[in-house]
Amino acid sequence: MTTTVTDRVLGRIRYASDFEVPGMWHGVVVRSPYAHATVERIDTSAVPDGAVVLTHADLGDLRPRYGPWIEDQFVLAQDRVRHVGDAVVAVAAPTLEAAREAARVIEIDYREHPAVIDPLEATRPGAPRVHDVLVPSDDYSNFYDLRPSVEENIAHRFRLKSGRGAAGFDEAEVVVERRYTVANANHAPLEPHSTTAWWTGDHLTVVGGTQTPFNNRESLAKLFGIPESQVTVRVLPMGGSFGAKTFLRLEPVVAALARKARVPVQITAPREDVFAILGRHGAEIHVRVGARRDGTLVAKAIDAWWNTGAYADSGPGVAEKGGYAAIGPYRIPHVEVESRCVYTHLPPNGAFRGYAATQAVWAGEQIMDVLAVELGMDPLELRLRNVLVDGDRFATGEVMHNVRFKECLEACAEKIEWRAGRRGKGLAVVLKGMTTPSRSEAALEVTADGTILLRSATTDMGQRPTETQTRIAAAALDVSTERVVMSENDTDVVPFDMRTTSSRSTYMLGEAIGRAASDLRGKVAAKLGVEPAELTFSDVGITGGPGEMVRWPEMSGLVGHGEYVIEGGLEPDTGQGIASFEWHQGAAGVVVDVDQDTGRVTVQHLHTATYAGKVVDPPGARLQTEGSMTLGLGSAFLEELDIDEGQIRNANLSDYSIVSSADMPRITYDLLEDESSPPHGLGETAVPPVPAAIGNALLSLGVGLTRMPIRPDAVVEQLHREGEE
Amino acid sequence: MSEPIWLRPTSVEEVIALRQAHGEDAVLVAGGTFVMTLRQTGLLAADTYIDLGQVSGLSHLEVADGQLRIGALVTHRAMEQSPVVREFGGSLSRTFGVVASPRIRNQATVGGVLADADYASDPPASLVACGAIARLHGAQGVRDVPVEELILGHYLTCIRPDELLVEVVVPGAPQRSNYQKFRTRSSEDRPCVGVAVAADLRDGCLADLRVVVGAVSDRPQYLRDICEATVGKPLESALIDEVASGYADQISFLDDVRGTATYRRHVTRALIRRGLEGLRS
Repeated sequence: MTTTVTDRVLGRIRYASDFEVPGMWHGVVVRSPYAHATVERIDTSAVPDGAVVLTHADLGDLRPRYGPWIEDQFVLAQDRVRHVGDAVVAVAAPTLEAAREAARVIEIDYREHPAVIDPLEATRPGAPRVHDVLVPSDDYSNFYDLRPSVEENIAHRFRLKSGRGAAGFDEAEVVVERRYTVANANHAPLEPHSTTAWWTGDHLTVVGGTQTPFNNRESLAKLFGIPESQVTVRVLPMGGSFGAKTFLRLEPVVAALARKARVPVQITAPREDVFAILGRHGAEIHVRVGARRDGTLVAKAIDAWWNTGAYADSGPGVAEKGGYAAIGPYRIPHVEVESRCVYTHLPPNGAFRGYAATQAVWAGEQIMDVLAVELGMDPLELRLRNVLVDGDRFATGEVMHNVRFKECLEACAEKIEWRAGRRGKGLAVVLKGMTTPSRSEAALEVTADGTILLRSATTDMGQRPTETQTRIAAAALDVSTERVVMSENDTDVVPFDMRTTSSRSTYMLGEAIGRAASDLRGKVAAKLGVEPAELTFSDVGITGGPGEMVRWPEMSGLVGHGEYVIEGGLEPDTGQGIASFEWHQGAAGVVVDVDQDTGRVTVQHLHTATYAGKVVDPPGARLQTEGSMTLGLGSAFLEELDIDEGQIRNANLSDYSIVSSADMPRITYDLLEDESSPPHGLGETAVPPVPAAIGNALLSLGVGLTRMPIRPDAVVEQLHREGEE
Repeated sequence: MSEPIWLRPTSVEEVIALRQAHGEDAVLVAGGTFVMTLRQTGLLAADTYIDLGQVSGLSHLEVADGQLRIGALVTHRAMEQSPVVREFGGSLSRTFGVVASPRIRNQATVGGVLADADYASDPPASLVACGAIARLHGAQGVRDVPVEELILGHYLTCIRPDELLVEVVVPGAPQRSNYQKFRTRSSEDRPCVGVAVAADLRDGCLADLRVVVGAVSDRPQYLRDICEATVGKPLESALIDEVASGYADQISFLDDVRGTATYRRHVTRALIRRGLEGLRS
């Protein structure tokens, strides 16, 4: 059932839209053409017989709203639509063509209202309200107190204060300040969202690609008012996700359609709908930093607005993580952060590879170079003077351990020959948190043929979880990787794992698998009546027991179970606590040149260094890093929604620009390894520092940009302004 | 309305008959890269499509009597790779080679890119620069239209509802020419600005100059007056500046996701300079 990279490359994977069950119907979602409107009338009278139509009127027995942090989402619009692409009606029919035809003849009347698109405007008095009611979710995904405000269109306000906060600027001799903005973007996974659902009596089965099977099981159970034991979430390998397939996306509407149609229903999102379903937060980040003349940082203030669109989704988490990531890995005695997750009438935004750090570092690391210019200092020296090392306290109050920010910076500086001349070169460093608190379980079961079945809920979106985790299990049991087989991924089969996000799986599941292996060793020892330490495991079998070598099949049925839990979290009004149990740490160094006529920026060389701890799967670690750097380049130069009054004008892969192989410059990277350390997640670390390093390289050429993506017209504007000065 | 009807004629005559019967309700499909994107994004929902894939006599690519004759169904990839096109001279090979990605170039056709009249395209500017002629077959017979007169505006051509663009004829290769595609986004993107220049020189002076700017306005911009005023003059820096400024001043530039009007003006001036400088060597 499980898949490998080879299957992926050879096209052998059955993706969610390839999945079929007998008697399955196809569904289509009719979506709002307006950013903000009242649904006045829905006329389905022209829908031919044989198609099933679902509107909000069919959902009276469901919980009214759902959402991982705030219950603000509707299966179908109740009376108002809040973004272009908001779901209003769903239709199912035996064929996709029939479903499309039925959708086409449905008439919906809307009364349009003023919409608010900009997150700063949305928080001002008199702005159109996106929601009338905001109820924090009690799903386990929401593990801290939220601070929503209906009047201000705020889903959550994360605050952090350390030292004297902004008052600490009175100790600064030099202060610099900038406003940075980052455009909304889309994950643009090659595979669109696709979900199949059916009911067997009161039991719901949902099949598709998702990074959050256990969150989805919990939320679907609550939505339909059934116990979690009556929901099965089966996960298929994904053709890319990057955060797009987190939490409930098509699942509720497909499940509700299947319930009404009384047959299995599948919906595959057309590309345009992928842009309506979830995107990446645009952000506006105001940052101020103060230092002494010798370059010692004394104060930093962050004021951020995260454009979460019409539904909060994981936006509160984005506001929190982006809020502290903008501080950067520095010793700063006085810090103040206010980071708001703001509602607007745009498609919802949520988790996106780099999780807020990309936007935060764009602001937090470019201001460091602005400060360096003001101080007349080398930007690398400025960073090294202030960078956090083991034993330092971060602004959250937590004491740093196992940190290598300095080493990451030094590695990048060396590879781009920073000290041979800084013109056209830029550096940036990232401190990125891993979801904390967090919990993972894993199980290892000896089967009748002697193979060891690894039950793990890690979902596969191309990051080689099968290779990584079977390797960890094999090493823990002293057997070959061939002996360990990954189970299928189904919430009825695998034990609980929080979710496959936040680059947490290799570390968290790795620990859980290690514990499961110890547990299995204990159970084998108990069965043989000896102490675990007396036994020697090998691929052939187990020796050290009372008799001859015991072959693996003889241990059939034994199951080792492991659980790993990390505690922590931040207090939302002070930002104090444990932000991250282990830190994702990285840096980027870049060399660019600029076409003076056209403003076109060419990256000559991009290098990243990330702290890897112990590397489990070297090819995976390398590919994850290359993928991250590629996405970083895309974010830096290309990826942006073209929004006009709430309409997305480039909601297709012809007009939405992503990096192609022909765009790739020379890229190199270091993985800083430490065999004695646990593995550090590498899935995203090399994304966030890339755009900021490019921004800093441009600043070294006199081109100071504040908006991402970097557009050649903005570069030309700066070049000309430079000329006039 | 149910699923659309796909018609698959096999001859030019049959296409013309179908065009007469269905008029503008039937949409012609050659490579499909344009029509299918419009259809997928809901911008086009025709009842009837006429698939040109089976039509014979539209795939020739040859030089006859010194003219390059390009069948309407010849793909961009064929234009890029064909030794016939390369040996003919000019910059057509290069122009078609910078369109989108190999997958698109394998599909998109010469007839299609002209008939679509999408402003954000590379080939029309280069075809205008080398004086290419579009040959149209219709119920009333055959007529030849210079490519600069074929495209009238956004997605608008002078092709009549009963006509089919069957081939493009390039009368001769210019002595010197080049095409510069300027992208602001991915390497697979459409042009923000495309500048095609073609010239014949005699005794160090310009005998003929055609500068055509694509993707900046509703149709390729060939400013005849500016070009003709250069005839008989040496291709020197002052003249180059004059031509570049003339184009930058006279074109009405558009704004889109690839660049603002102001930016396009700036880039156009720079690229024309580079293009003309390139003709000197």
